[in-house]
Amino acid sequence: MSVSINLTLRIWRQKNSKNKGRFETYKLENIDTASSFLEMLDVLNERLTKEGKEPVAFDHDCREGICGTCGAMVNGKAHGPWWATTLCQLHMREFRNNDTIVVEPWRSKGFPVVKDLVVDRSSFDRIIKAGGYISVKTGSAPEANAMPVAKEKAELAMDAAACIGCGACVAACPNASAMLFAAAKISHLGLLPQGQIEAQKRVVGMVEQMDKEGFGNCSNEYECEAACPKRISVSNIARMNREYLKAKLIP
Amino acid sequence: MLDAYLKSSIGRKQIVAVTGLLLIGYLIAHLAGNLLIYLGPEAFNHYAEKLAGLRPGLYAVEFGLLGVFLIHMLFTATLVLDNIRSRPVDYKMKTAQGERSWATRLMPYTGTAILLFVIWHLLDFTFTDKFGPRSILSDGQSYGLYGVVYNAFTDPFHSTLYIIAMLAIGLHLSHGVESFLQTFGLNNAQHAITVKEISYWFAIIITTGYSSIPIYVMIHYYSH
Amino acid sequence: MKDKWANHKNKIKLVNPANKRKYHIIVVGTGLAGASAAASLSELGYNVKVFCIQDSPRRAHSIAAQGGINAAKNYPNDGDSIYRLFCDTIKGGDFRSREANVYRLAEISNNIIDQCTAQGVPFAREYSGYLDNRSFGGAQVSRTFYARGQTGQQLLLGAYSALMKEANKTSLKIYPCTEMLDLVVINGIARGIVTRNLINGGIETHAADAVVLATGGYANVYYLSTNAKACNVTAIWRAHKKGAFFANPCFTQIHPTCIPVHGDYQSKLTLMSESLRNDGRVWVPKNKEDERRPNDIPENDRDYFLERKYPSFGNLVPRDLASRNAKYICDEGQGVGPSGQAVYLDFTEAIQRLGASTIKERYGNLFDMYQRITSSDPYRNPMMIYPAPHYTMGGLWVDYNLMSNLSGLFVIGEANFSDHGANRLGASALMQGLADGYFILPYTIGDYLAGCTPGNIDNEQRAFIDAKQEAAEKTDKLLKINGQRTVDEFHRELGRLLWDKCGMSRNAGGLNEVLKKIPQIREEFWKNVNVPGSGDDLNQSLERAGRVADFLEFAELLCLDALERKESCGGHFREEYQSEDSEALRDDDNYTYVAAWEFRGVGKPAVLHKEGLTFEEVKLTQRSYK
Ligand SMILES: Cc1cc2nc3c(=O)[nH]c(=O)nc-3n(C[C@H](O)[C@H](O)[C@H](O)COP(=O)(O)OP(=O)(O)OC[C@H]3O[C@@H](n4cnc5c(N)ncnc54)[C@H](O)[C@@H]3O)c2cc1C
Ligand code: HEM
Ligand code: HEM
Ligand code: SF4
Ligand code: F3S
Ligand code: FES
Repeated sequence: MSVSINLTLRIWRQKNSKNKGRFETYKLENIDTASSFLEMLDVLNERLTKEGKEPVAFDHDCREGICGTCGAMVNGKAHGPWWATTLCQLHMREFRNNDTIVVEPWRSKGFPVVKDLVVDRSSFDRIIKAGGYISVKTGSAPEANAMPVAKEKAELAMDAAACIGCGACVAACPNASAMLFAAAKISHLGLLPQGQIEAQKRVVGMVEQMDKEGFGNCSNEYECEAACPKRISVSNIARMNREYLKAKLIP
Repeated sequence: MLDAYLKSSIGRKQIVAVTGLLLIGYLIAHLAGNLLIYLGPEAFNHYAEKLAGLRPGLYAVEFGLLGVFLIHMLFTATLVLDNIRSRPVDYKMKTAQGERSWATRLMPYTGTAILLFVIWHLLDFTFTDKFGPRSILSDGQSYGLYGVVYNAFTDPFHSTLYIIAMLAIGLHLSHGVESFLQTFGLNNAQHAITVKEISYWFAIIITTGYSSIPIYVMIHYYSH
Repeated sequence: MKDKWANHKNKIKLVNPANKRKYHIIVVGTGLAGASAAASLSELGYNVKVFCIQDSPRRAHSIAAQGGINAAKNYPNDGDSIYRLFCDTIKGGDFRSREANVYRLAEISNNIIDQCTAQGVPFAREYSGYLDNRSFGGAQVSRTFYARGQTGQQLLLGAYSALMKEANKTSLKIYPCTEMLDLVVINGIARGIVTRNLINGGIETHAADAVVLATGGYANVYYLSTNAKACNVTAIWRAHKKGAFFANPCFTQIHPTCIPVHGDYQSKLTLMSESLRNDGRVWVPKNKEDERRPNDIPENDRDYFLERKYPSFGNLVPRDLASRNAKYICDEGQGVGPSGQAVYLDFTEAIQRLGASTIKERYGNLFDMYQRITSSDPYRNPMMIYPAPHYTMGGLWVDYNLMSNLSGLFVIGEANFSDHGANRLGASALMQGLADGYFILPYTIGDYLAGCTPGNIDNEQRAFIDAKQEAAEKTDKLLKINGQRTVDEFHRELGRLLWDKCGMSRNAGGLNEVLKKIPQIREEFWKNVNVPGSGDDLNQSLERAGRVADFLEFAELLCLDALERKESCGGHFREEYQSEDSEALRDDDNYTYVAAWEFRGVGKPAVLHKEGLTFEEVKLTQRSYK
């Protein structure tokens, strides 16, 4: 069953945010195609360690596509060539023997490189901090079934809530815009009756913070949606635009 | 409040979108007027004169139009500059993942092409002597504005440039209309595909509508 | 029992609201337990510092939970109640948990659903617009609330958003990318922690009036587990070394439905939600040598071993039984797949009965995930599954107030020895984490704080300086070894050993053997590990090395506890103690206690303290799922 392939990797190495980075080339042999992309990088790192070199830093945690920690550009695509997949869930079956794979970190002013493939995404936390919540205090919640929510609305909210905050949308967007991420949260909360009370304040606060972080503007390129491992729809951006207009111009 | 709106990413793109919509409105009206060319010199010139008769009111509209044009470009410029700054270190390798069309990629370029076209176009038809030598057709008579337009399009080079410009407009609109709907939140997952279609067909209508004029003139001229 | 929590709350000491801002609390961990606690404590007005390893609090391991969260709402009107949830949890835990704690958990379960719904957690709903429930993990009632296959993520995003709301106050500070390396204890009282900034390597100390550990479970001691890669025992192990008792470390849970191991490079195992067993049927070919493809094997040649052995519960027996039986069948050579370490989980019948679209609606994302990982289509071929380490019931010992034996050290979530006894029921870890964080700790910590003078938070004291020095030296030492083997090689070796000898079933011989081997591996580790790079920037090898070093110490305690507990209960199965038909045999006369271990030095046997358990509400019975 298992097939092994040989690969040439061109990986971005960068000591820290201040250094300029460069590509390094590595040859890997006998990679089992059933392994994941990160497991392939593990193999490389084990080898580098044994050679007394510093392994490639890359972010990961759950390795099952849910925590949103992993991510890199693989051959120019955020999270690599598979549809709706995080990097950790990309498997080496996608590649052919003797392929060259180019691996780069997410690039955006809002995501400074920390080291090699690791970037600082704290800007996303600050966007959430600027309003991505419902201000209910512990203990003050009413009975859960006191407020029914139409199933369709609940499903749409869930679609948006599925965002894992990985940043692939920013990475793939030609403008390095964080609109899809922000829109997902604004939609998730705005679609639910619980979230309506603070809807205006939320959208204004989050958009303002997003702009402050240096992310680009949206010119409706829809690359974000295509790169998103959770298939967050750009219709969420439309909803955010509408909500923003409402909040700003309709008193 | 308004100040923050005009500085924000979404606010600015909505300004680009509204001005875009106004420009589309002008395009439709202008096309309707221009198509009168098919009815012959009288109808066309009559329309032009009627328009001219609306002055000085028309100046207001013209300046308004100029303003809209400038605002559209100015806000676009700030967005585009921001977007360049938002990725200080570029990718060494970047591949499209979605269905990002050429129209989308080329927005700033088709926009610039439109700008250049309009400048040339104004020199061509507006700031020209409408009863001078350019208005005289082969029968030696002046046909006014009709003559100017007819003469211009008998030159295949001139016509080709126009058609290229119309294609640029078509491209701009095929993304622009869809984009407008998205920017104002009129898009949603259910009818995303129709929004694309509206945009696409609208662009085709505008482009063929306008392009038909130089084509018609050339056919008319060379078949006589 | 029923009123114990209410009475306790009524009698608990309160901190004057104006005084709250004078108290400083450290919360380590931003999973469901940590994030909910930190947010709630900040709402009350305390000064809170929150730490996590991940680059954002939202990425804590709780995010991975798929199945759901239990509550005794009885919305489906199928006879559920707080009492029933309480009984099920006590029984599920095989009578090795505290009745009072479990009752409180069941009582609070309903508030959690209210709280989370108000936060905007998009729980599944019915067409009426009201919340939907499903049955889960073998429960006889439908009491599980869920948000697609992402319940953990949605609950965590709820807690995280509460935390981010509080982060707008200056009194709450979040430290992501920061690992706790030590606990500072002065005169038996927890006073603060030592941390390492994972980005710049800076070692710092933080002092507070109370320290809350919410650092999750230690299943990664097995190397291959369903836990996220950063899960570790470091925080609670270092606290243990500073005097906190470690309770029931041998109570580990092996989850039956995981994707089998497929190669040496394997870095983690993926859980397929237990809910799959609601519709999937577990089987292996009757004949060991059967080489046919699964779909070509006729019904008569299949052994639906769970249905055969447990006719009334069938495929829905508790996790420990499902796992152990899969192991037995594979040990007997009936396993399938390239390694022979797998059994089929078959949906053919369910698809025929319900239609592929219903199955897709229920499990679509799980099926996709399975296909992505294995490249086999579960709609057409049966899935292959095998058990994997998943959850740890053991943890630091805590009292009813969730405080450890060290004053001022509170432990919540999976990190404490918890309410799950010897086995946790599905969908109850999320419930416990949130109960601890939202509704228990915020009260009980006040009881402690009210009794101490606030603001005693000087980190210039000797103890802090020493602890910082020690942490720095340890880091340095790891970097200087420059040996031949990688950190992962050691971790794999340890994991394999534990999985074989102290995994799904254990025996004295095997445990004694491991207890001899672990110190050898540990010794070699400290001589021969290779940790490249430096200590003053992001160094993931170094992070792992520190964690593996702790696993290498902790593993000994795990095995010692397993050796000491001469009975089989819940997740702890001792081969010597089983009935004739290989069912677990508890020894209630001698082992109805919590084993709380006291540290006496690395390599020295820990000292056992026993907390007796009494059962007043639920009669001690042998579990039966026949
Ligand atoms: C795949 C999977 C599926 C599951 N599904 C379910 C389910 O459906 N229902 C259910 O009820 N339960 C489920 N569980 C169990 C449940 O998810 C966990 O038990 C629970 O989420 C633990 O929460 P926690 O807050 O205690 O810890 P965690 O969420 O593990 O959080 C630990 C936190 O501590 C931090 N931390 C750890 N060590 C340190 C350190 N040294 N320094 C600083 N910070 C540190 C981490 O960064 C993290 O923020 C599942 C578990 C897994 C693995
Ligand atoms: C007849 C003239 C024009 C029309 C009808 C028009 C129409 C539009 C419309 C409808 C949009 C979509 C706005 C949105 O994103 O929602 C748009 C965008 C744009 N226009 Fe124009 N436009 C015209 C001229 C120009 C000119 C002269 C330029 C530049 C010099 C220009 C540059 C752009 C650019 C770059 C965008 C994309 C902006 C963004 O979305 O970030 N356009 N235009
Ligand atoms: C084949 C296509 C076109 C023809 C035949 C045409 C024809 C003309 C004519 C004859 C005039 C002069 C009107 C007058 O001075 O009374 C004119 C003016 C103008 N045209 Fe066009 N046009 C065409 C396409 C366009 C396009 C695509 C645009 C916009 C992008 C455009 C924008 C303008 C403007 C802005 C003026 C000046 C209007 C004014 O002065 O009020 N034209 N056009
Ligand atoms: S919207 Fe999609 S791509 Fe963007 S952060 Fe969320 S999950 Fe990642
Ligand atoms: S790709 Fe970028 S331009 Fe907008 S639609 Fe997506 S954010
Ligand atoms: S590592 Fe968690 S999503 Fe990839």
